[in-house]
Amino acid sequence: MTTTIVLQQAINGVVLGSLYVLVALGLTLIYGVLVQINFAHADFVTLGAFGAYFFMHLIGGGYILSIAVAFAVGAALGWGINAAIFTPLRHKGNELLPLIATIGVSVMMQNLMLAWFGPIPYAFETPYSSQVIRFAGIFVTWQNIIIIAVSTLTIVLLYAFMKFTYLGKALRAVSQDRETAGLMGINPNQLIMLTFVIASALAGMGGAMLAPVLVLTPFAGTSVIVKAFAIVIIGGFGNVEGTILAGLIVGLIESFTTQFLDPGLIDIVVFALLLLMLAIKPTGLISERREENV
Amino acid sequence: MTMPFRALFLGTIVISLFTVGPTAHAQDKTIKIGALFPMSGPGSYFGAQDKQGVELALEQLNKAGVNGYKFIVQYEDSACSPLPATQAAKRLIEQFKPDVIIGEECSDATLAVMPVVEQAKVPLINAGSSSIKVTEPGNPWTFRIMPNEVMQGINLAENAAKRMNAQTAVLLFENTNAGIGNAQVFKDNFTKLGGKVLAEIGFGRDINDFTSIATRVAGLGKVDVIPTYTLEGQGLKITQALAQAGVTKGGGGNAIQIGTIWLPFGFEQKAGKAALGYIRIVQFDPTDTRDVAKNFAAEFKAKYNADPTHLNAHAYDQVMLIADVVKRGGKDAQSIRDSLAATKNYSGVTGSVEFDKSNQNIKMDTIHYMETKPDMSWTSLKWN
Repeated sequence: MTTTIVLQQAINGVVLGSLYVLVALGLTLIYGVLVQINFAHADFVTLGAFGAYFFMHLIGGGYILSIAVAFAVGAALGWGINAAIFTPLRHKGNELLPLIATIGVSVMMQNLMLAWFGPIPYAFETPYSSQVIRFAGIFVTWQNIIIIAVSTLTIVLLYAFMKFTYLGKALRAVSQDRETAGLMGINPNQLIMLTFVIASALAGMGGAMLAPVLVLTPFAGTSVIVKAFAIVIIGGFGNVEGTILAGLIVGLIESFTTQFLDPGLIDIVVFALLLLMLAIKPTGLISERREENV
Repeated sequence: MTMPFRALFLGTIVISLFTVGPTAHAQDKTIKIGALFPMSGPGSYFGAQDKQGVELALEQLNKAGVNGYKFIVQYEDSACSPLPATQAAKRLIEQFKPDVIIGEECSDATLAVMPVVEQAKVPLINAGSSSIKVTEPGNPWTFRIMPNEVMQGINLAENAAKRMNAQTAVLLFENTNAGIGNAQVFKDNFTKLGGKVLAEIGFGRDINDFTSIATRVAGLGKVDVIPTYTLEGQGLKITQALAQAGVTKGGGGNAIQIGTIWLPFGFEQKAGKAALGYIRIVQFDPTDTRDVAKNFAAEFKAKYNADPTHLNAHAYDQVMLIADVVKRGGKDAQSIRDSLAATKNYSGVTGSVEFDKSNQNIKMDTIHYMETKPDMSWTSLKWN
């Protein structure tokens, strides 16, 4: 086994892990603030991917701009669905209702996309997918570089938003104690909406980043969402730093399992890790008190 | 009721009987075809294209009917997966009561459906599942018009070793009955012919990124051929990843991807330059000069304004074979089964059909080799 191959698989793992992080961040944000799992998150990813695809193929837009379009598509969708479906259900006081509604929204969106876009896989090519940089036996596409750059930038901006802005601090306050935050003049409903919009925008953007890697069909997002859930659990539900770390670890596990074991064993290894975490450290990789999350 | 009124009433009934009679008779003379196609999930592109082929065949057949019979089809989503396929088959049989069923595409789904059709005594015509288990041991009610994995695998291994002079191979396959079976047949026959298999890499249908697999292949040294057995979506990503890793011709390497009947037409255009040199078996040769193939291609183009794919073609063939059986006296499930078994030299658009004792089509002219050219079009290799 040469160092080159190990290095190459490490790069592959970081790229894949960055993609997982983009998807998992939205899930963890929503859980951190609402203590709710969004089963429709995968479909926000898919719709973001289609948004980027059609922006490029129907309007002739560039790929980089299509990432922003997918971000906007995700944000708009998150706002619309939260306002129309989740918020009214949340006001009924039964926490199960919005949770079940996310499953309904997921099935509905998948079938709507199937009706609109058809079942045949779309080839989402970007000018950067086929531009390969080769150096000392290592190869990396420009697409991969864009994935790592955008993921890093997103993480930095999200971190800065949470730590240094009023809205970010307010979000953290709502996640710690919704009622007390309300007494301090913070409108929890507006911040829950903001959380949904940010999480959905991240999912949409993740779709645009994933689409050239994934097989783009109406079911594209569902193929990564199970891994994203695993990442959120391994990282610590609602914990952003833990999610980032877990995403990268899962990406690396996938590449090295492929190299040294067998790709057919990837899920076994990842989910064995998940079970191990639940058994040994159920709070996740970075354990904090729940109120410190987000 | 007065006499004149009674006469009028009875007269109306008699006239109605004469008028309605033939219509009711025509409605009775219907062959019901149940279609088990994947309409959702990763194999749903099969269903979409199968349906086009079926609809074209129905349109042609129902213009005049066959032996006084018209054909109707009920579609059910079998999702390329055993459980939904079994449920769909049961729904069809209980509610639609078909005389014959066509489908499924994926071997695992077909294998799951087979006991259901056998119990209901409804013949099943399959054109897309290559697993040997479909016909060996198979059952008396299941017929396959496509070449099975052994027929394709032996032929592919022989051509790789003898025509392409390949000495080394890496096998890439999805972990399903068909994927594993196809890879195993190739391995057995390629090694018998002196070839060496450097690695067998199986993966689940949930794998998205194939860069790591391509990296592993790149680290295996000189690879001549890469037999690949996956559905279209993963196939696209594998082809692109292998090119990015510089393994295949499309990425400046020397290896050539080869494959049996898995991918639809149009795959090369989606994969782009990465598909350069890919050699694969397809079920329908668009350069076929037989009238039946040329007419099909022309009529498909006229209806859909697109060139037919092999999925369109094999779905069309399934319905046309049923029509041929009805022409030979098939009228219900049992007689259709018996006539199917007696089929000799039926000429379809994908090739000829003649079943052996296990109901496997034995005709090798259903195997057509295509090579992807630099402009992403095909050269028909005419190896069979």
